[in-house]
Amino acid sequence: MFPCFPGSLAGPARIVGPGLKPIVRAGPFLQEWNTKDMKFELTEEQNLIRDMVREFAEKEVAPSAAIRDEEERFDRALMFDRLGELGLTGIVFPEEYGGAGADYLSYAIAVEELSRVCASTGVTLSAHLSLCANPIFLFGSEEQKQQFLAPLARGEKMGAFGLTEPSAGSDAGGTKTTAVKDGDNWVLNGTKIFITNAGDAETYVVFARTDKEAQKHHGISAFIVEKGTPGFSFGKKEKKMGIRSSPTMELVFENCRIPGSQLLGELGQGFKIAMKTLDGGRIGIASQALGIAQGALEAAVNYAKERKQFDTPIAKFQGVQFQLADMATQIEASRLLVYNAAYKASAGLSYSQASAMAKLMASETAMRVTTQAVQILGGYGYTREFPVERMMRDAKITEIYEGTSEVQRLVIGSALTR
Amino acid sequence: MKILVCIKQVPDMESKFRIAADGRWYDQGDLVFRMNEYDEYAVEQAVRLKEQVGGADLTVLSIGSERVKETMKKALAMGCDRGVHVADDTVAGKDPMTIAGIIAEYAKAQNFSCIFTGMQSQDRGSGQVGVLLAEMLGLPAVTTIVDFTYDGSLFSVKRELEGGTRAKVAVQSPAVFTCQLGLNTPRYPTLPNIMKAKKKELGSIPVDQLQKTAILQETERLYFPEKKSGGLILEGDAADLADRLIGILKEKTAVLA
Amino acid sequence: MKVLLVAEYREGKLLGNINELLGFAGTLAAEAAVFLVGKKESLPKFTGKLYLADVEKYREYNPDGHKALLLQAVEKEQPDLIVFSHSSYGWDLAPRLAFTLKTCQISEVVAVEGESFVVPACNAKLRRQVKSLSPKTVLTLQVGAFQASETGGEPTVIDIDAEAAPRISFSGYEAAAKGGVDLTKASVIVSAGRGIGKPENIAMIAGLAAALKGEYGASRPVVDAEWVEHNRQVGTTGQSVAPKLYVACGISGAIQHLAGMKKSEFIVAINTDRDAPIGEVADVLVVADLKQFVPVLTEKLKAL
Repeated sequence: MFPCFPGSLAGPARIVGPGLKPIVRAGPFLQEWNTKDMKFELTEEQNLIRDMVREFAEKEVAPSAAIRDEEERFDRALMFDRLGELGLTGIVFPEEYGGAGADYLSYAIAVEELSRVCASTGVTLSAHLSLCANPIFLFGSEEQKQQFLAPLARGEKMGAFGLTEPSAGSDAGGTKTTAVKDGDNWVLNGTKIFITNAGDAETYVVFARTDKEAQKHHGISAFIVEKGTPGFSFGKKEKKMGIRSSPTMELVFENCRIPGSQLLGELGQGFKIAMKTLDGGRIGIASQALGIAQGALEAAVNYAKERKQFDTPIAKFQGVQFQLADMATQIEASRLLVYNAAYKASAGLSYSQASAMAKLMASETAMRVTTQAVQILGGYGYTREFPVERMMRDAKITEIYEGTSEVQRLVIGSALTR
Repeated sequence: MKILVCIKQVPDMESKFRIAADGRWYDQGDLVFRMNEYDEYAVEQAVRLKEQVGGADLTVLSIGSERVKETMKKALAMGCDRGVHVADDTVAGKDPMTIAGIIAEYAKAQNFSCIFTGMQSQDRGSGQVGVLLAEMLGLPAVTTIVDFTYDGSLFSVKRELEGGTRAKVAVQSPAVFTCQLGLNTPRYPTLPNIMKAKKKELGSIPVDQLQKTAILQETERLYFPEKKSGGLILEGDAADLADRLIGILKEKTAVLA
Repeated sequence: MKVLLVAEYREGKLLGNINELLGFAGTLAAEAAVFLVGKKESLPKFTGKLYLADVEKYREYNPDGHKALLLQAVEKEQPDLIVFSHSSYGWDLAPRLAFTLKTCQISEVVAVEGESFVVPACNAKLRRQVKSLSPKTVLTLQVGAFQASETGGEPTVIDIDAEAAPRISFSGYEAAAKGGVDLTKASVIVSAGRGIGKPENIAMIAGLAAALKGEYGASRPVVDAEWVEHNRQVGTTGQSVAPKLYVACGISGAIQHLAGMKKSEFIVAINTDRDAPIGEVADVLVVADLKQFVPVLTEKLKAL
């Protein structure tokens, strides 16, 4: 359930005080609730999408989730190609670019349902769509959209996003990878680390410094680079705590030459593109965290109903019920934030703060809920026979990537105090 | 070629059921509803037939309250061309003969070459509507099909019998088929198809326009069977135990029939 | 009360379910006549009228023909109830009769409650009590719900014929395809636990499964020891099953295993430990050494 406004928004909230003078509340958190028409309901299409992705996730993805985590194995046919067949790889893009023309809420639902059984599959979709396909959609030329976006939307090619470097994490302005113009081409040199989908993805949106003189985050530009380009190789594959079925690798550029037509957006616009891209990516990760938390809650509730100690199912003990109640309430609150951010994104409203709040809340909820789920399952929960320890290991990264919780707090705090 | 598939919206069978206030059916509040599982095989087969025969038109029909339209949308998203919703808030109280009569009243002027239904519904399970519908329309019917092919004029199907044996059957168009688990794997409605379904025709007909008969049976009550009391513990001589166990299995299960 | 019971002939044999229908008629103290498209050589044993049509002429599956013949028998016998087994033959033929006679049909009866009939609902979680409002009623009985009764005797055969141009052509049977094992589709599963002791005893479990016409499965320790392949594992890291009958042999009932099978309709546990946790979900706990009990049980089942 989440707000869904039919038609367009009616402007700032108007609270009618005594004397019937409208009081308009201004500021960055203008709650644009049109309370007359607000419906906390999913549309029939969104329900159908949820049912379809849930069925697919439970039948096809869930059975191998544990073994893929154990083996640190990415299964492209299952975790990406199948998503393409179901029309999920281009959910939010218009049909003319091979997409399904659906909204961000549908996307959030799809990532949530996948992550509920396998966080690795959720992030595969999220990184592909939000971090690679979306910037090309938002900033690419018509030729770039036809050449690069359409295959991504159709699931023929998988995408990835290369921003992070050894010395540029939260401080993305510290990018050291360079791109130097040479005739009509650009030559890239540098390394990117912790790149999701790397190695398997065919298309990469990569950020490099094009103007060495410019300050920090000015002078960075975005490029589209394809796997197989000479000078573009992959470094080590990370051994991670969680989302072990999702490949995370280094990108290595050594005099990698790409055509000038693969500059994405304006020269020097790279930082802005990265930030805008991450705004949307945040919704994907928030949805992933939400799905992880939901899966953990269900596992905990089902276990508590069956597990008997002192001749009673532990679900009947108040202590356990209180824990489950807190978990469920936090998940529901996170869900409303995530769906609100998704709604705003599709409604064309500004959604930076909404998505930051959603990601912050959902990821911290996921960490708390999964940790609590392991506690409720006790000794069994600590073993790999039950899924909650994997969910807990998976949840941690949601507090870190695509903007750490600290960065989210900066986004929200600085907007509040502007 | 015109094809019809009849579906029913039922609750998820994993639900915790409660008896309705009048004691005659289950309480429909707080339940998650979905397409009757056997009807999913019917929809899938109907869509496959439509895809096989160029220019075929596939209608999905369902009887019930506004709520059933969501399930009909899934059928549209799987590939049906249009939906006919028979608006009826009290369908749960109608018997198979009446329901078949309502569908027949709609179908009689439509000239369908092939009609699919599920072999039974998961909630009531009387397994009669498909065959009754065929009788009312004067069409041959074959139940419990697990294999289906069409060569342009002849339907060749296989019925599943007890023990997994199959009976090979053929019938000319037009005909009615009721579908069993194993016939096919229903496709997921892909996202683009879910979006396309939004634009497909889904009209409602009030049930009084189609219902012409009175019901022939009534449910007196719906109830939970007695819970099995704690497990029985058997000890003793092996041969004796075996006899007793076989007796219990014969009495309490249908496994040794 | 008069009842007309519909017997079945398939793959050259009279099927045994007619005895359940006779048993049902007995509980109603009704006068029973039988209808059969079959052969004189193979008739049910009871005293009463048997309306017989020749299966060589009318064939085993021919709904148009069988219906026409059955209508003749109904016309002659004028029964109050026409009773079928809820089998692939019964549920196919009964509604056709109900339509022509304009009577109600009540399917899959499991019990009789006065003038009403009890049928299962919602995956057998519930029961529904139904009353017929028509003068005659067509019933189909759940297989195994009523005790079979072989009253014995020789029926009085009345030959019947009917003209009916069959619209459906039947060209024979084919055996079930044998695919890889899918425990989730089995209606009977017999599982082996650590209590079987050694891999050689798997054959014993498989034998019991075969005698019950089901599949064999195993708990995790048995699969981990590689005595059984992984796709037969039942439990949290294996399959989740809900068959009509689950027989747990030498399985203690660890929570991981229970999670995979406790929704089974009827659970029998065979274990030397009467306090094993499996006892909490089992309908019947046989306290015995499975290595002695299972072979005896298997032999007796085969002799049935």
